[in-house]
Amino acid sequence: MRFSLNFIKELLDVPVKTQNLAHTLTMAGMEVEYLEKRGDDWLFDIEVTTNRYDWLSMVGIAREIAACLGKTLKIKYPSPKTSPPLTDKKIIIEDLRDCPLYIGRLIKGIEIGQSPPWLGQRVSHCEVNAINNIVDITNYCMLKWGNPLHAFDADKLKGNIYIRRAKKGETFLGIDDKERTLNKDNLVIADERGVIALAGVMGAKNTEVDQNTKNVFLEAAIFTPLSVRRSRRTVGLDTESSYRFERRVFSEYVEYASFEAAKLMEELAAGKLAGYISSGKKSTLKTKPITISLANLSDCLGISLSKPTIKKILSTLGFKIKDSSAGKMIVWPASFRFDINREVDVFEEISRIYGYSKIEPQIPALLRKTQKDNSYTFKKKLQDFIASIGLQEIITYSIENDEELKRIEEKEPIIILNPLRKQENSLRTTLLSGMIKSIRYNLNRNQSQLRFFEIADIYYKDKNSFCEKSALAIGGSGTKEDFFYFKGIIEQILNYLNIEGVEFKQESLGSFTNALRIKAGKLEVGFLGKLDEDLRKEFDLVEEVFFSQLDSSILAKLQGIKRYVSFSPYPAISRDISIALAKKRRFQDIESLIKNEVGSFLSDLQIINIYKGKDLPKDIFAFTLRVFYQSPDRTLTSQEVDSLHNKIRSKLSQQEGLQLR
Amino acid sequence: MESELKKLEQEFQKEIVEAKNADQIESLRIKYLGRKSLLNDLFSRIPSLSKEEKGIWGRNLNIFKNKITQLLEEKLKTFKKKEERLDLTFPSAPIRKGSKHIINQVNEAICDIFERLGFMIMQGLEIEDEWHNFTALNFPIDHPSRDAFDTFYLDIPSSKEKAKQSGKYLLRCHTSPSQIRIMQKSKPPLAVISPGRVYRPDEVDATHSFMFHQIEGFAVGTDINFAHLKGVLLHFAQEFFSEKVQLRFRPHFFPFTEPSAEVDISCIICGGQKSSHAKCSVCKDKGWLEILGCGMIHPNVLKFCGIDEKKYRGFAFGMGIERITMLKYGIDDIRLFCENDVRFLKQFDEI
Repeated sequence: MRFSLNFIKELLDVPVKTQNLAHTLTMAGMEVEYLEKRGDDWLFDIEVTTNRYDWLSMVGIAREIAACLGKTLKIKYPSPKTSPPLTDKKIIIEDLRDCPLYIGRLIKGIEIGQSPPWLGQRVSHCEVNAINNIVDITNYCMLKWGNPLHAFDADKLKGNIYIRRAKKGETFLGIDDKERTLNKDNLVIADERGVIALAGVMGAKNTEVDQNTKNVFLEAAIFTPLSVRRSRRTVGLDTESSYRFERRVFSEYVEYASFEAAKLMEELAAGKLAGYISSGKKSTLKTKPITISLANLSDCLGISLSKPTIKKILSTLGFKIKDSSAGKMIVWPASFRFDINREVDVFEEISRIYGYSKIEPQIPALLRKTQKDNSYTFKKKLQDFIASIGLQEIITYSIENDEELKRIEEKEPIIILNPLRKQENSLRTTLLSGMIKSIRYNLNRNQSQLRFFEIADIYYKDKNSFCEKSALAIGGSGTKEDFFYFKGIIEQILNYLNIEGVEFKQESLGSFTNALRIKAGKLEVGFLGKLDEDLRKEFDLVEEVFFSQLDSSILAKLQGIKRYVSFSPYPAISRDISIALAKKRRFQDIESLIKNEVGSFLSDLQIINIYKGKDLPKDIFAFTLRVFYQSPDRTLTSQEVDSLHNKIRSKLSQQEGLQLR
Repeated sequence: MESELKKLEQEFQKEIVEAKNADQIESLRIKYLGRKSLLNDLFSRIPSLSKEEKGIWGRNLNIFKNKITQLLEEKLKTFKKKEERLDLTFPSAPIRKGSKHIINQVNEAICDIFERLGFMIMQGLEIEDEWHNFTALNFPIDHPSRDAFDTFYLDIPSSKEKAKQSGKYLLRCHTSPSQIRIMQKSKPPLAVISPGRVYRPDEVDATHSFMFHQIEGFAVGTDINFAHLKGVLLHFAQEFFSEKVQLRFRPHFFPFTEPSAEVDISCIICGGQKSSHAKCSVCKDKGWLEILGCGMIHPNVLKFCGIDEKKYRGFAFGMGIERITMLKYGIDDIRLFCENDVRFLKQFDEI
């Protein structure tokens, strides 16, 4: 909301420096966001919070300034004339709940022209376009009193005025030259022919004041906030008028605004007030008395204020005060302060005028509870560990496109009913989408061998309900062999969390022909896979992409306790075997064969060399395996080791698709 | 045996003199001390000697073995001194280092400060219902106060009964629903910090995003007051930014707090010292930067959560982590946080 200081000065003397005024207002809750000097005037942009409808008028702002400065207003309240009565028209309000009051004044013989400079400046300095004397007068009065007015060309009206619900499919051509289709959510003003205004929002083109207008029918009314809000939302409009009605207008001032506008039309546009008509009645809503306790006040604010201080503050705000029983007061908020309903509302008024800055900060003694949210601690622990082994944490958007998601994950996404854009219309069912985007972004900027992780929620539909759960994603890029780096990372994480008995099972999973499913008994921990070639190309990824997603809550559940495991004081003795393995066979087979043969004497197995000679047939994988033998209670002799090792060699050599080299 | 040993010694003495580098020393070691060496052969003959001779030859052979071992080692040392010089001015090998995302580092730093003051950390879920996101926070239905809190609604079906009670499902637009859920579950006194992702249908630009992070904090007790709110937030700001920062509490309006305030910190760049010469690009010469909203929890909110609003009072505050991070590190575009450019992320290896 913008106001002009010269406009305020019509209502109040402001004997302080403008900068100081701006600071005072900001610290009292009327935040001055922008201040500009224009000619001999100052323009203030203030933030009007939704509770202070009264700041949407110059009278209201002047009143606030007066309270802050301890000054008195010099407003001249008009004495509205309601004669002569308008007899050739009736006002028929069909919906008294949404329009409790409607007033019309007929001003005859006006001459359309430019406003005098002071008037044009008043409205334009409040960010309202100056148009002509009639329109500017209605806007001036709206700005001053907070009550929107509308001027119809009286000669374009036919018969009675109706305030009714729009009929389904009825159209409305606004003064903005746009046509809109209405429904029963729209309250309209109509004459015998049809809609002449969208109540409280905008007038219609068909009855607009123009250069040839001679007679004006001036509308002033009360429309309820909810009806105006719904109406303007269904047609996508937001006007100076709807903005005020939506936040409530002060019914005491309807007559003032209307009468002052009519008088100005007489003074500035040669008009003559020729008729008055009204229907409905003024609201009799009054603010209710509130009892406040001084003890509660100091309990709430942490400071004690004396009765005289409190009384002084409240009376500058226009509140009435009466002493009640000991330590209590009865307060009647000012008649326009419908936002003051209970004790704490009064406390805020007292404290903001007293000054928040005068309340000394204190540190409370908080009782520490042992109860802890394990999900936060667990997440933190995982983040620290994974970063410590060389991965970079990323944060990616939870909102994605449903079709894109369905291509990489079979779970049913939850759709956003009011998305900003079609690209972002559903909640992600997998962390893969964000991972791919981050990898692609960096690969396209000459980065390579990326190593990322993210811990975030995934969401999906689950039968008639939904699921939101935390997942850990690990991903990155590189060459085929990097798969084993990521496998190592996952083993490290499981090891760090002391999770035992986890199985890696090679399977094809969705977008991953080459993948390991990770299970702990019956629990699905997650998977690790290499993104399929076709998808990789579709997403324009220039390196191989690896991705693993693990279920955080299952990891948390499986977490074990670190225990010391004793180790043998006797040396381990190693022997090497070079093996050529047909690709149809699995390393896993060799591993389990060796484990079976050696039993408890096996202490470790290491691949020490992978042979990549050109002479090697394509379907053969050649490597050297180092087997470590160890006993917990003695040094094994070379004969014992040799005998174990020879047993392995002979067993292995009997295997199909396996050759010792 | 004696002559064999003598010959062996002569040969060794000759060869060790001729040895010119460490490799040759190694071959000498294998030749004279290895498994297939003549000395080993001599040792293996000992069991077949007479008892007396066993003693003498065992000793002799060991003396010889120790002698050549020592000589080899001494000779090897002379070569080591002459080791090849490397070009150590070469760049170091790349060391791969991971780190947490800057937003999570800041989030954690903030949580830690409050945890030391006695706050518990609890996280809420992001899919919420209207009751927890709005109604229980004292937002009137269909009121302009909801406009600043635009929200994404979700197509999750709910039973008629549930819909009547809790309204439609949505993505939380602030972390305040966590406050409601915790107060419904736990009895006061309470002091809780609740961080997490929040969502609003805002067009993305340098300062707006449809997804960002917030931290909600609140305390409820029989003796909690506005001065405590000021104290806790001042402590936070001075610990997080610097001891020198000042806070400014401006009256404001939120449906869920009364009295309410917006809080500004003195500009961390210009220190609030307006100078007539230079413009401060961060605070635009205002000297103050808005960082959070707060207030005393509205009695209606306590009541909605089943807490006796006559007996208990509480304060609550909420802040955006992106905004605070941008202010602290001079980051000028919020989109950097979710782009995950490694050149950006790596700058915050350690903060």
